[in-house]
Amino acid sequence: MDSMTLFIASLAVSCIGALASVLLIKADNAAKTAGCLVGAVAAVLSFIAGLEAVLGDVSSLNTVFFFPFARLELLLNGLAGLIVVLISILAFAGFIYGLSYFDEYPGKVGRAGFFMNTFVASMMLVITADNVFWFLVAFELMSLTSYFLVVIEENKNSIRGGWLYFVIAHVGFVLIMASFLLMTNGVGGSFSFSDFRTHDFGPAVSSACFVLAFFGFGAKAGIIPLHSWLPQAHPEAPSNVSALMSGGMIKIGILGILKVGLDLLAGSGVQLWWGLMVLVFGSISSVLGVVYALHEHDIKRLLAYHSVENIGIILLGVGASMTAHALGNDVIATIALMAALYHTLNHAMFKGELFLGAGSLLYATGTRNMEKMGGLFRRMPVTAVCFLIGALAISAIPPLNGFVSEWFTYQSLFNISTLSDPVVMVFAVASAAALAITGALAVTCFVKAYGVSFASSPRSQEAANAKESPAPMLFSQMLLAAICVVLGIGSPVIAPVLGDVAQSVLAGSAITATSGVSLVNEISGAATSTPAIAIALVVLTGLAFVLRSCLGTKAPAKKTDPWACGYEPNEHMPVVATSFASDVELFMGPLYTLREVCTKICWSIAHVFQKLTGVAQGVEPLPDRFLVDAPSEGADKLAGLASKIEGGNYSVYICYIVAALVVFLVLAVVMV
Amino acid sequence: MNIVLAIAQGLVVMLVAPFFSGLARVIRAKMHNRRGPSILQDYRDLAKLMARPESVSSDSSFVLRIMPPLFLAVSFMLAMGLPMFTLESPMPVFGDAITIMYALALSRFFFALSGVDSSNAYAGFGGIRELLMSVLIEPSMLIALFTVAIVCGSTGIATMGQHIVTGNVSSVVAVILAGVAFAAACYMELGKLPFDQAEAEQELQEGPLAELSGPSLAMMKLAMGMKQVVVVAWFTSIFIPWGEPATIGVTALVGAVVFLVKCLVDFVVCGVLENSVSRSRFKVLGNQTWAVVGIAVLAFVFVVVGV
Repeated sequence: MDSMTLFIASLAVSCIGALASVLLIKADNAAKTAGCLVGAVAAVLSFIAGLEAVLGDVSSLNTVFFFPFARLELLLNGLAGLIVVLISILAFAGFIYGLSYFDEYPGKVGRAGFFMNTFVASMMLVITADNVFWFLVAFELMSLTSYFLVVIEENKNSIRGGWLYFVIAHVGFVLIMASFLLMTNGVGGSFSFSDFRTHDFGPAVSSACFVLAFFGFGAKAGIIPLHSWLPQAHPEAPSNVSALMSGGMIKIGILGILKVGLDLLAGSGVQLWWGLMVLVFGSISSVLGVVYALHEHDIKRLLAYHSVENIGIILLGVGASMTAHALGNDVIATIALMAALYHTLNHAMFKGELFLGAGSLLYATGTRNMEKMGGLFRRMPVTAVCFLIGALAISAIPPLNGFVSEWFTYQSLFNISTLSDPVVMVFAVASAAALAITGALAVTCFVKAYGVSFASSPRSQEAANAKESPAPMLFSQMLLAAICVVLGIGSPVIAPVLGDVAQSVLAGSAITATSGVSLVNEISGAATSTPAIAIALVVLTGLAFVLRSCLGTKAPAKKTDPWACGYEPNEHMPVVATSFASDVELFMGPLYTLREVCTKICWSIAHVFQKLTGVAQGVEPLPDRFLVDAPSEGADKLAGLASKIEGGNYSVYICYIVAALVVFLVLAVVMV
Repeated sequence: MNIVLAIAQGLVVMLVAPFFSGLARVIRAKMHNRRGPSILQDYRDLAKLMARPESVSSDSSFVLRIMPPLFLAVSFMLAMGLPMFTLESPMPVFGDAITIMYALALSRFFFALSGVDSSNAYAGFGGIRELLMSVLIEPSMLIALFTVAIVCGSTGIATMGQHIVTGNVSSVVAVILAGVAFAAACYMELGKLPFDQAEAEQELQEGPLAELSGPSLAMMKLAMGMKQVVVVAWFTSIFIPWGEPATIGVTALVGAVVFLVKCLVDFVVCGVLENSVSRSRFKVLGNQTWAVVGIAVLAFVFVVVGV
């Protein structure tokens, strides 16, 4: 079937899943089964559609749908296909996982199923939208549906995190809208992305558009300093939704930056300083993300901070690509973009796996605090092994997938530093050094995450009584862990495919990313090979293992207590999360002070919003009566849903978002 | 031919590793005015440990069991890829600077994790310190390597050595400074004084090795010795490549002898350095490593200004 037909079918199936969950809202079990299974079917359909697009079958749709002034234009090209594929995999794993995991949410399953299905569908629509209006509508829908998933537990933390998320998401939304409207204005009022691509906006306007879009989408992606909502909001959602948000949704921020910088503004040309700016924010986000992660003892918050780090690593590739593109070297630009896309895909897979693993820990022990875990390897061996694979992959350990993309990122930073532009050279080497620090800290952090949760002995009754997760949850984790291994060892097959996608984005020259089973940097001739590393490690470790078992006495190893300087060992002696944090703080104290400043900035933005809503409340009756009477009634009903959770204040706020949209739409129509 | 040479390199490194660790002990004894052990003592230690029964701590898992063979495998794999006996790498895919850095991260990951896994508090702390050391070392290592790579045109170790041996580099000063910084970083990676954090605290003796015994301990001692030779070889194959045959062939035998002489010199220098300094506290390490980062950055500055 044609990929666009399949794609539309998957959207329709998602809507059916959402409806089914809502209709069965009174019956938890039925809602869960219907919502999850239908959602999984939709994910399979969109996966096939995305894969066809990645392999070169570009398809588009252009039709009138509801609004005559804004045609429904969808474009499923290689880049969109790649993001569709990775979100489909995460959604599939998440829905299967939900078959057991949603048992933790009695009375809220129907709601979760509804919002999760609509969340996935709205993400798919954002990815493919090829028109300003539909892009913004879908983007807003994505923010709203995910907001309801964040606050689903309705406790203090989730409402607080959700509120911060809501505000920052909309700050980003305003910036993105401003960027798009600038472009619309530039092309004389057209909403269609295809008109933007060919238009030359001139350096000033295009730079303004890019900077607005970079920070708008950056807020969604969680770049530092716009990150502090991320570790407060993502962990509050159900774990499979956290996986979908951290692995999938923040990639839409990356997609947006790529789309605006390299696609929509292609007609205006990329400026060199855009690339350098992206490199700077990438470096800062990657180092600080992992430094803050090291300080966490809440496992889901730790993982959320690692999303900030990995977004930084992806941005290093994006920045290198833009820099090379601006300097007119298309081969290097394509290699760098391939690195960024590879890491985008990889991060989705291992972060998804790790969040599902964290969900299993939460499911088994009832806590996210690693200090209260310990000794879980014996109780949950499958979860432990999958988590270890994810931990190795995210630490960029060869031969797993994280290594492949970071290797290409290093190579592209190296390549741009040989372009004999001193400024670029300085930025490139500084970014590479940042990546090296990040790598070393990530290893530390995941030794901590795995070691403190799974190794030694239980530190609480709950951990001692923990049981392995049910089959659907194990299946999802194994699926994602297996994909991490395949993307790593199978890199000689995957890299050329992603190279083609990168080439299609840049419309540049083809690259040679592989030679036989090796990965190569065609500019310098440097090479590595994950299949060879895998074979060497397996064979050599196996030989050494056999050799060891032939040595010594034949008796099995004696079990003893660990040595504790002559004291009686107990479960509180082995290292815990704080042991890592205090040692790290020794060297990185000032960076933690910086975090407090950043968090304050985010909160002060939130407070400004709160004040605004306060003022709005004062003059509420006037605009309500005269300007937005009819739409606000509809919005009130929507807000009614929210106010059940929020206690009133939000209704006003949501009114204004809707009102703002309507005003802009009216303006746009008048302008056209 | 290549694969034969690669395996030969691995085996030679494995065979000579206890010799060089024994050498360090001899130098230390001589500098302390002690008679000290024979230079072959480490071979005897390994033989003794291999015959002993093993005990493992009761809370440990497969991580502690898999770590010694895996550590050995990584060291062997890196020995296969470095251009040790010739200027060409027998397995170029293992001989890329970035690959080597991350392969070392693999062994470090399991080394530190096995410390935590053994549920021995001191082993766990030893592991954490090992990890934090690498955080402090890696920036200087990377900047030095990148500087040389820019000067020589590739991150492949063999390419770097080939450019340096012929003097075909864009900035000689930068190469020399990067060499100094990389030597310092490698020295820290060797875990010698004043950077040996495991030995700095009485209880942390030998860090994550605390819960290993018998053949596992023997394997770990051998593997750590191999890692030291590999790190030294990493340095010599980039910065002191002179004397090695240009292509892979029978002349590699001569290359092997030259290589071992270079290693001997390096280990003697390290041994003397190690015993001329005092142990430093873990807390002040950051200050010393910043100095190395400074040298590496200076080397890079020379590349940028093009001297």
